[in-house]
Amino acid sequence: MTVGRFDLRWRRPAGWQVTLAAALLGLGFLVAVQLQSQGPRARYTSQERPPLVATALELSDRQAGLKASIAELRSEIQQLESAVAEDDVAVSTLNESLVEARIAAGLVDLAGPGVALQFDDAHGPLPAGANASDYRVQAEDLRDLLSALWLGGAEAIAINGERVTIATAVIDIGGTVLVNSAYLAPPYVITAIGGDDLYERLTGSDALRSLLDGRVVPFALDLRAGPLDEVDVPAYAGNVRLVEARPVPTATPAVPGTEP
Amino acid sequence: MKSRSGRLALTALAVLLGFLVVVQLRSQASAGGLENLSAADLTTLIANLNTRNEQLAAEQAALRSRLTELRAAGTQHERLVTAIRDELERMRRWAGVDPVVGRGVRIVVDGPIGANGVNDLINELRSAGAEAIAVEGVRITASDVVADLPDGLAVEDIALAPPFTIWAVGNPPVLTASLTRVGGIIGRIQVSQPLVSIAVEPQALVDIPATRHPTGPRFGQPRL
Repeated sequence: MTVGRFDLRWRRPAGWQVTLAAALLGLGFLVAVQLQSQGPRARYTSQERPPLVATALELSDRQAGLKASIAELRSEIQQLESAVAEDDVAVSTLNESLVEARIAAGLVDLAGPGVALQFDDAHGPLPAGANASDYRVQAEDLRDLLSALWLGGAEAIAINGERVTIATAVIDIGGTVLVNSAYLAPPYVITAIGGDDLYERLTGSDALRSLLDGRVVPFALDLRAGPLDEVDVPAYAGNVRLVEARPVPTATPAVPGTEP
Repeated sequence: MKSRSGRLALTALAVLLGFLVVVQLRSQASAGGLENLSAADLTTLIANLNTRNEQLAAEQAALRSRLTELRAAGTQHERLVTAIRDELERMRRWAGVDPVVGRGVRIVVDGPIGANGVNDLINELRSAGAEAIAVEGVRITASDVVADLPDGLAVEDIALAPPFTIWAVGNPPVLTASLTRVGGIIGRIQVSQPLVSIAVEPQALVDIPATRHPTGPRFGQPRL
């Protein structure tokens, strides 16, 4: 039987030992951070909130899946219509009008010159006694920014990839913002297509000045903007809902090719 | 480190470190601020997401059925023309290219309201599901906003002198309830601007004109 012997004399550590020690230190740090970051959430969400957060995240994921499926179906339909239109003059004329109407509705991706903006909550510690929500970007701030862009000549806008359409509402629920009923988190990235002078028109506008003076500067919100030769504004992937709105009875055809 | 077991241990440690970094980053990003919401706000958010998902599921079903219809129509000219024409007519109504009629509400605004107040009313109508909106006869598309000019409010090139009227097509009880609820948009406007009066009336028939400005992009290139 052999017994292991311990050599207690000091030796210079090997390179791999130093690496291992550093790695273990990093591991310990990460474990501590992970445990700490879970701690407070686990405490205050001990009753009804964790299932609610999980449900909201699940519904958001489902929404993303539905939108992707809708975008795919629309693209398939468009391809089918175009393929048929190649062999049929009447269908071809109608199809061109349909593509125009979809572009007008915001159901088609656009690319062109414009601006990109990033709008984020205030960083750093808040002043004593401050109301935290004042230092967050709110729906009203985004609406004011959209107004400034439209008045500056923008022709298509998206916020975090959500196309702003004729039916788009930007609303607050607690500290979160919904655009097209999709939950968006800061930083908000806004892309807008307009003329080459959109950036100059935006930055020189009274509407933007009012947002800067009333909210951005006093509450240290982080708003950055720059002109770009080409920005992408994705298509609207939501539903086209018409339940109450009917066509106006008319003596002349409203749609090319329709009978009165 | 020369031994095989030492190398294995270091590899395992590196894998574990990588895993923890990812877990940490994901745990910070996944809830995206939702954990800061109150239970009441989360419930409202869930109700919104639910409603929206139901609408999206209905749209998905309608598109599937349209795809089936188009495939079935094949080379049958009449069926195909009808299907495309129906879709074209629906799209033009939604985009504001064609006028529409339907049930809705009439909102009369009087007093010294600011442009933001009117834009907030329009936003609330959209949030409540309005399908078409007009302010003093101007169809409100995505890009139409009310502006504060030195001599008063304007939308497109029309001056808005109070009292003025906003018309919206949509479910009248839903639109009315959304606008007039306690703590809602009208209440908030009247708290900050007490001299403003806003009256909402359900209507059996509202006429909304087509937009007067071109709807095609001047600078953007469509990616079809």
